[in-house]
Amino acid sequence: MVRLLEKFPEERMKHMVSFKQTQLNRFKRVAGLQVDTNNNLNGENDPKLSINEIKDMLNRSKGPLGLQRDDLKKIQAVIPRDQFTEQDLKKQLESLKNLMSNKYQNYYDVGDKMYKPAGNPQYYSRLMDEINGQKKETFFSAMKVIFFGK
Amino acid sequence: ISINQIGLGHVSRLFSTSIVTNSQETNAKNQPKRIIPLAQSKYESKDYKLPKWKESLGEFVISSLHLDMDKVRAGPIAGSYYYNICREQGLQVEGEKLSPSAKYFYETLKLPRTFSQWFQITALHEWMLFTRMRAMPFKYGRNYQQKLVDRTFSDIELRLFDEMNIHSGRIVDQYLKDFDTQLKGAVLAYDEGFYTDDATLATAVWRNLFAGRKNIDINLLEDVVKYIRSQVYIMSRLSDREFATGKFNFVLPTETVKKLSPEEELQRKKNVIEKYEELEKSGLMLPSEKSNLSYSN
Repeated sequence: MVRLLEKFPEERMKHMVSFKQTQLNRFKRVAGLQVDTNNNLNGENDPKLSINEIKDMLNRSKGPLGLQRDDLKKIQAVIPRDQFTEQDLKKQLESLKNLMSNKYQNYYDVGDKMYKPAGNPQYYSRLMDEINGQKKETFFSAMKVIFFGK
Repeated sequence: ISINQIGLGHVSRLFSTSIVTNSQETNAKNQPKRIIPLAQSKYESKDYKLPKWKESLGEFVISSLHLDMDKVRAGPIAGSYYYNICREQGLQVEGEKLSPSAKYFYETLKLPRTFSQWFQITALHEWMLFTRMRAMPFKYGRNYQQKLVDRTFSDIELRLFDEMNIHSGRIVDQYLKDFDTQLKGAVLAYDEGFYTDDATLATAVWRNLFAGRKNIDINLLEDVVKYIRSQVYIMSRLSDREFATGKFNFVLPTETVKKLSPEEELQRKKNVIEKYEELEKSGLMLPSEKSNLSYSN
C-alpha cells in the first residue's frame, strides 16, 4: 500500500494538505514504518515552498465556515476511525490500484466530445497549460477571455 | 400560510441546532404536512398548468418577435430543472426521511449533515452539468451555465436568511462570497481531474467533497470517482437537443451504469434522429418548442 502510494501522482497545485502525504503517513503508521513528524504546514518536506506560494495557499482557502466548537465535535463523531483488518486493507489496496490504473476514465470513455467541447475546444488544454505553468496567458489573451468568454 | 411559517418549518440540520428546535416548538401546531421549500416558485411545481389564454399569448409573442427559444429556455431548464436536480441530491429537510441519493451521501459516505456539505454535493453535480454544457454551442452553453449559477446563489441567499435564521445581510454576504470561492475552486479541481486521470479526480473529490479528512475509506473515494465518470458518460451520449430540453437526470449513486455497445449506441442515435426529424416535419411543434440545437451529435 505504502509503495503504491509513493507512486501516486504529485499534485500540480500546492494545497494546505496533500492527499498523497496524509495517506502515506496514515498507512505508514499502520505498516509500522517510520513517519516523518517534522512536516511543515504543507504536510510534506518541501523546502522549496516560497513565501508567495504559502500566501497564495492561505488566500485560496479559509478555515471551516463559521463552525462552532460543538459542531466540529459533531463532525468529528461522524468521521470513521481507523481499524483495519487484513481484508479491509486488501480492499483499500484494490481501490487504490483501480484509481491509479485509470480504470474508470478508460471504461466510461467520453471521447473528444467532452475533452474538446464544441463550445470551447481549447478549454482543458489552456487550463492544463496554466496549471503546469507551461504557457502563460498574455495580456491580450486574458482580455479576450474577459470580453468574449473564451 | 405566512412566509414566516414556511421559513421556520423546513429548517435543515445546520450548524446550530438550538434556534431550530425553539422555532419548531412554537410552530408545531399549524405546520403544514408537506413543507414547500420557500425558494421554490409555484410555477416550478409539476402540477402547475398555465392558463390557456396565457399560453397562447406566449406562443403568439414568441412567433411574432422571433425569439430565440434556445436562449429563453436556459432559464427554465438550467436555472430551474437542472438546479433542482442538483439541489435534491444532498437535500435534507428536518423531520423528513432522506432521499435515496441523500442517504448515500450522508450515510454511506458518512459526510457530516451540514449546510456547507450540502453545498459541496450540489457543486459537484453542477460541475458535472458544466462539462456537458461546455460541449454545447458556446452562446447557449455559456448561458445555461450562467443561469445555473445565478439560481444557485439566489437560492442559497434565501435559504441562509430563512432556514438558518441569519438576520444580518453582511454575514450572509460573507457566506455567499465563501461559497463562491468554494465553487470556483471545486470546478477548477474537478476539471483538472476530469481531464487528466482518475487519481487526480480522486484527490479533487477528497479535497472538496470529503473536506480532506485524514482517514478516508479509499473504497468510497473510488465509488465517487466511478459515479462521476458514469454520469458524465451518460451526458456525453445525449445530443445537444436532448440535454438542452432537460432530458437528463442523475442516476442514483447506488446503481451502476453499463456502457453501451457500439451497436446499441448507433441504434439509439438513429432512434433519436428519427424521432426529432418526424417532429420537425410534422409541423406540430409550437413556437416555444422550436430549437436550433443539433439532435444528431
